[in-house]
Amino acid sequence: MGFSVSGSAAIIFAAMFVGFGMFHSATVNGFETVSDAQQDRTDRTLVQQNTAIEIWSATWDGGAGELTVRANNTGSTELSVDEVDLLADNRYVRGYDTSVGGDGATNLWLAQETLEITVTSLDADPGRVKLITGPGVAVTASTAEVA
Amino acid sequence: MASVSASHLILFIASMVIAASVAGVFTDTVGRLGQAISDQGLDVSENVRTDVEIISDAGSDAVYNDSTGNITLYVKNTGSETLPARADRMDLFVDGIFETNVEATLLEDGVQWRPGGVVRLDIAHSLDPDTDHRVKLIVNADEEVFKFRS
Repeated sequence: MGFSVSGSAAIIFAAMFVGFGMFHSATVNGFETVSDAQQDRTDRTLVQQNTAIEIWSATWDGGAGELTVRANNTGSTELSVDEVDLLADNRYVRGYDTSVGGDGATNLWLAQETLEITVTSLDADPGRVKLITGPGVAVTASTAEVA
Repeated sequence: MASVSASHLILFIASMVIAASVAGVFTDTVGRLGQAISDQGLDVSENVRTDVEIISDAGSDAVYNDSTGNITLYVKNTGSETLPARADRMDLFVDGIFETNVEATLLEDGVQWRPGGVVRLDIAHSLDPDTDHRVKLIVNADEEVFKFRS
């Protein structure tokens, strides 16, 4: 009888040991995945809070059919030019030229730099534009017509 | 004496078999539970990483097109999760009514809606002119509300 009881107890004990190992690793992995995601969200929120832009000129040149938007990065986040979106009267505009401080090749829009967007694909003055940055911070402005 | 040893042997084998069965069931159950916890962790992390923003210009008259009866919304992926750019993976309510007539178009190259990308949603829903409306968009438990005037 003694062998039976201690043998069974050993098997059950081993199973509990294995079970605890499996449960522990699954719980720790799940917790780590969620905590990484939360850390990522905190970082994103910080970037969003540090992002600020200002449109200081939005002009429509009817003669040349050109919309020019100049915006200043007034926050402290380094923004990406290719993540910037432009809506002209709620129409998503693509295929425009950009330049940051006169440099048309750069993809970085750093703090206190001016991004200039030149759109030539519009037929008429849109009246209003909205500029959206990568973190989601956006500004709107009305366009002014220039001769 | 031989009969006592035989019965002890039978009891020993029986107890081993029972203990092994209990151990098998126990580890199997714990394994399933661990898998479920792992899956739940992935789901929660996906929800936490998902963040979308309706970037349409609410002040523009062009959000709703009177002649076609279409609402056009632009949604930007501002999270860190790549999402499917499919209307059937989003829930959309226009003035509290669940909308199924929605077309999603990815406004960039590729098939995946990567962070920073924009999707255009065309919602076929007629609205009364000059009234206030709200659209609610739910993607991976991230809820966004957009208010505009038709």
